[in-house]
Amino acid sequence: MKKLVTAFVGSLALATAPAAFSADATKELKMAYDADPVTLDIHEQLSGGILQLSHMTFDPLVRWTKDLGVEPRLAESWERLDDKTVRFKLREGVKFHSGNELTTKDVEFTFNRLKQSQDFKAIFKPFSGINVIDDYTFELVTSEPYPLLLNTATYIFPLDSEFYSGKTEDGKDKDAITKHGSSFASTNLSGTGPYTVTERKQGVRVEFERFDDYWDTESPGNVGKIVMTPIKENNTRVSALLSGGVDFIAPVPPNDLERIRNDKDTQLVTMSGTRIILFHMNQERVEAFKNPKVREAIAYAVNQEGIAAKIMKGFATPAAQMSPAGYQGHNESLTLRFDVAKAQQLMKEAGYEDGFTITMMAPNNRYVNDDKIAQAVAAMLARINIKVDLKTLPKAQYWPEYDNRAADMMMIGWHADTEDSANFYEFLTFCPDAETGSGQYNAGNYCNPEIDALVDKANVETDLDKRAAMLQEVEQRLYDEAAFIPLHWQDLAWASKKNVMIEPVLNVMNFPYLGDLVVK
Amino acid sequence: MTTATVSRWDRFRESFFWYSFKRDKVAIASFIVLLSMVLSAIFAPLLAPTDPYDLAQINIMNSELPPVGMNGADEAFPLGTDAQGRDMLSTILYGTRVSLMIGFGAVLLQAVLGILFGLLAGYLGGKVDSVLMRIADVQLSFSTLMVAIIVGAVFKASFGNLMFGEIAIYMLIFIIGVAEWPQIARTVRASVLAEKKKEYVDAAKVMGFGTGRIMFRHILPNTLSPIFVIATVQIANAIISEAALSFLGLGMPETQPSLGSLIKSGFDYIQSGSWWITLIPGLVLVVLVLVINLLGDWLRDVMNPRLYKG
Repeated sequence: MKKLVTAFVGSLALATAPAAFSADATKELKMAYDADPVTLDIHEQLSGGILQLSHMTFDPLVRWTKDLGVEPRLAESWERLDDKTVRFKLREGVKFHSGNELTTKDVEFTFNRLKQSQDFKAIFKPFSGINVIDDYTFELVTSEPYPLLLNTATYIFPLDSEFYSGKTEDGKDKDAITKHGSSFASTNLSGTGPYTVTERKQGVRVEFERFDDYWDTESPGNVGKIVMTPIKENNTRVSALLSGGVDFIAPVPPNDLERIRNDKDTQLVTMSGTRIILFHMNQERVEAFKNPKVREAIAYAVNQEGIAAKIMKGFATPAAQMSPAGYQGHNESLTLRFDVAKAQQLMKEAGYEDGFTITMMAPNNRYVNDDKIAQAVAAMLARINIKVDLKTLPKAQYWPEYDNRAADMMMIGWHADTEDSANFYEFLTFCPDAETGSGQYNAGNYCNPEIDALVDKANVETDLDKRAAMLQEVEQRLYDEAAFIPLHWQDLAWASKKNVMIEPVLNVMNFPYLGDLVVK
Repeated sequence: MTTATVSRWDRFRESFFWYSFKRDKVAIASFIVLLSMVLSAIFAPLLAPTDPYDLAQINIMNSELPPVGMNGADEAFPLGTDAQGRDMLSTILYGTRVSLMIGFGAVLLQAVLGILFGLLAGYLGGKVDSVLMRIADVQLSFSTLMVAIIVGAVFKASFGNLMFGEIAIYMLIFIIGVAEWPQIARTVRASVLAEKKKEYVDAAKVMGFGTGRIMFRHILPNTLSPIFVIATVQIANAIISEAALSFLGLGMPETQPSLGSLIKSGFDYIQSGSWWITLIPGLVLVVLVLVINLLGDWLRDVMNPRLYKG
């Protein structure tokens, strides 16, 4: 009881005087994720892990709040000048880890680098340029009226232009983006964020220390040091939390939710998520996948409900499309179509009654129970005589394989970066085009220019009803053609010790704002 | 011919071997357990209710059902199901079969290599002895598991997963067999050194028999008892090595599970309620290795000439 009272008084004091606490950031947080960031270059890969790192070591211009509003960060204020231009005012006196001061020069540098990045350029495709007005004022301009400009600004984390300019000792450009390789940016980092990376051993541990000159003195965060350890095994990660070895873990495997709820020293936070897990069928590698009947057969053979109920323990929503409920593209009429007899019938019609053999790859530490899901799908495909050679890999090895399109069916999970349906299509079903970056994560090589054109049209449509109708039509046509095999929207779960106040810093994007984390 | 068999059977019944077996309750119990496990493994395709290798028979909706007698159990799955919906009873029967095949196969390979090299080294002596025994020393200085992990990883990378799944069992027999042959070779060599000074060997030499004949027909039969004893222990070791490798993900693939890979596949669930996926195959493994070791112990006592009073 005494403990409770102290906790109550503590939280009261915190609510009234957050600034008083931020001065002494002395607490240490030990946390365990399923994997550590694969690189320190936040423009090398567009992935949840890298964005989580971005929010720890950098700051975006604006960021999502818990209820999906947008709050100012490095951009102090903004106003829409016309339907193509938004003017931003930058916060003054913000320092990078290197000591340099943030100006529009850094924003411009970052914007141009994003346009170069293979992974990010598709998100920034609607932008035609950046106009620098003075040291603290700039404008973002789009080529067409673009309703999602602010959403996209959440992905602009200004880099320290001075730090990333010039040449390294062996003559390489410091700003070069090298995928899965070693570059200056992949091992060095200077941002404006609450933490600096003090030590990093890939796959072993990453140590962060609070940045003394962090601009956000209002932040209630009182964590001075973070030690992040990757623990791939679900069971081991949960045990580490329960035994007190770590203070904060994510993700929490669905079969251990009860165990954590029942433990009196830990707390569990769950949210229904919007991340779609799906399989691509590579048409360039497998002739049979060019046949829509075969793709449809696979769509009929996969039991999404079974996976969600049994492997995910109900901790996921079975999906028949990419857009989760609430997104503009979500089409109510699309239902799950698990029917083995129908699937076998379709295989027969396509002339593949005797089946064929394919390869399949999935990560084993990226999504919740990813390897078990892949195994279950392999078993389901056996029923329509498709023999699967399944390989599961840790994500550090999986993404290079993914970029090489190394297997016939590959798993990916996608969270719409702009919280909008069009983002799914642009990355996962658009005709792959290295030039524009569209279809960058389309491992199926599915290509239908008509659908792409429809999405492009929807993107410049400012009438929201018309836009929703277009996006829903896209979803319908992708469903009819079985362009991919959707599995489920993965729910989110985090767990921590009771004294780690994780709830206020978590959000449905799964970007914990650890800079604002309070530990009692 | 009939009389010969009868008399041989009679001789067996009158032997110290049978006599001590009859009087040792532990040995009898171990033997019965081992025999029933071996038989059920051999006849697994007839006994198992489902074929765990046929992915098309698995239904995800049946996953993680508990064994009969617990809440929510299904009678079709007497020992429950694993996380993918496979029947545990069938999977364990097939898994025991895989583990036993690897155990016996690996020891057979060890015995062939070990006896050959042990005899050569012991009987010929000199340079042959030095070379062979130094090779054995080098080999023994590596841990079996480490050699197996390296070879396994190389094979897995070069053959692809599907192909590896098909040859995995032979691979494991090869790896464990080759890694452990010095154990048997050294034992054989030691006995050969003792035997070759005896008069019957000299007699054979005087009679003009060839080296090969003396080695295999005269000396080998007299060194068999220690080989039997060490082979029994080695079977248990090979089964454990295989289970360890499979547990590390370098052994049998999940689609053709051995006991080790079964234990691994349930490891995520052991603390979240579904204990049977790991515990039951674990118990089967422990019992299997225990009875083999107990039989080995008993065999050592019987075959040790110092204890042999019959």
